[in-house]
Amino acid sequence: MERNPPDGTGPVHVPLGHIVANEKWRGSQLAQEMQGKVRLIFEEGLASADFYLSSKSCILYVTEADLVAGHGYRKRLARFRNSSHLQGIIIVEKTQMSEQYFPAVQKFTVLDLGMVLLPVASQSEASCLIIHLVQEQTREPSKNPFLRKKRSMLSELSLVQTVQQIPGVGKVKAPLLLQKFPSIQQLSNASVQELEEVVGPAAAQQIHTFFTQPKRQQPCS
Amino acid sequence: SAAPCSTSVLRVAEVHTAPRHLQEGNRACILVDSREITTGLEVISSLRTVHGLQVEICPLNGCDYIVSSRMVVVRKSQSEMLSNTSKNKFIEQMQRLQSMFQRICVIVEKDREKAGDTSKKFRRTKCYDSLLTALVGAGIRILFSSGQEETADLLKELSLVEQRKNVGIHIPAVLNTSKLEALPFYLSIPGVSYVTALNMCHQFSSVKKMANSSPEEIATCAQVTHQKAEEIYKYIHYIFDMQMLPNDLNQERQNPDTCLTL
Repeated sequence: MERNPPDGTGPVHVPLGHIVANEKWRGSQLAQEMQGKVRLIFEEGLASADFYLSSKSCILYVTEADLVAGHGYRKRLARFRNSSHLQGIIIVEKTQMSEQYFPAVQKFTVLDLGMVLLPVASQSEASCLIIHLVQEQTREPSKNPFLRKKRSMLSELSLVQTVQQIPGVGKVKAPLLLQKFPSIQQLSNASVQELEEVVGPAAAQQIHTFFTQPKRQQPCS
Repeated sequence: SAAPCSTSVLRVAEVHTAPRHLQEGNRACILVDSREITTGLEVISSLRTVHGLQVEICPLNGCDYIVSSRMVVVRKSQSEMLSNTSKNKFIEQMQRLQSMFQRICVIVEKDREKAGDTSKKFRRTKCYDSLLTALVGAGIRILFSSGQEETADLLKELSLVEQRKNVGIHIPAVLNTSKLEALPFYLSIPGVSYVTALNMCHQFSSVKKMANSSPEEIATCAQVTHQKAEEIYKYIHYIFDMQMLPNDLNQERQNPDTCLTL
């Protein structure tokens, strides 16, 4: 599956389920551990990212040494953020050595740049994580449990519950009121007289007061 | 400007805190779920004392921290993320939050180490990796914290970022009694978060006013997206049909069919 190196500026083509890796990772532990599970394509001259997961997202890898060395990596991340429309996922080696720098890295990447940051302890952890990321990219979005819509409750049922929150209205009165005034909006506009046809005068007054809220002490906002 | 990592990085939380923050004038407000009093007391006290934020404890019902009118933050211990046992509960919680909030952030917090206990070393699991990648895929932000103090620092930063985007919480969480009555009413509307309900209490002079508002007015007053305002509007105008109500309310409700469960 080896392809000719592109010019480095155009969009990178990533076949489904493959990873396009920067040539510099050839022979590394990270690449070797991934190779058994996903197809890696090495390319030269990839501008800034280390791995491309799809045509939409890629990985920037920050090593322990990068962190200890200083702020050089920041320039690279910021440059990527400004020049690319790709989603950048940053994988950072958070080890005993580099742990102390982690909070600052996190603030910079997640809060300032708005990118995704995932810490790993070693290259072998990174390889597992990257494989998971590829799997996530290739599966249908509806398979993502966090994207699945929660089944909404029947509107009738929640309407009854909403009406029950009105002072003086309980399980019995709520459906009765909704039968006569079938929407919250209509109920809110009912006069005391109209309400009295469904509930007693005391409750009718209570409901009307709840909706119209005659100004007591609070200033108008 | 990000704090440069100097020699005293271990205490990043304290480096740029109270004095500078007080100068900024308008204090940010963070709503905290009352359940956090038992599990995250140090987070709450750090927010108050070190960062000088206005912290309001409210019954948020599963939303750990609300830092702006659109963002909720969930505090999750690392050990919970590592094991499969609480996975389904976590997914359910996230689905619920997604129906209410535009933005979600998860703070993965390292568990407190007991003195002398070295057996529980962090071991990355498949479950952990797949949860992380699913969160990334769903566009949910993830932050990592080494403990409760750092969590508080991250919460403060998040609320400052949100404030800069003009979605900060600037209304008193305390209501007088007449407005308090409307809060549970607004909260019962599907997809309405506590902060949205609070906004509605403050911005609409009466519930009747709210019920007769246009989607645009709802969007401005409740500080929600246009789509969410549209949903609320539809709910307010939804025509109730007695036939759709499962027989009697007291009677057994038809169980949701199995194919739709998790």
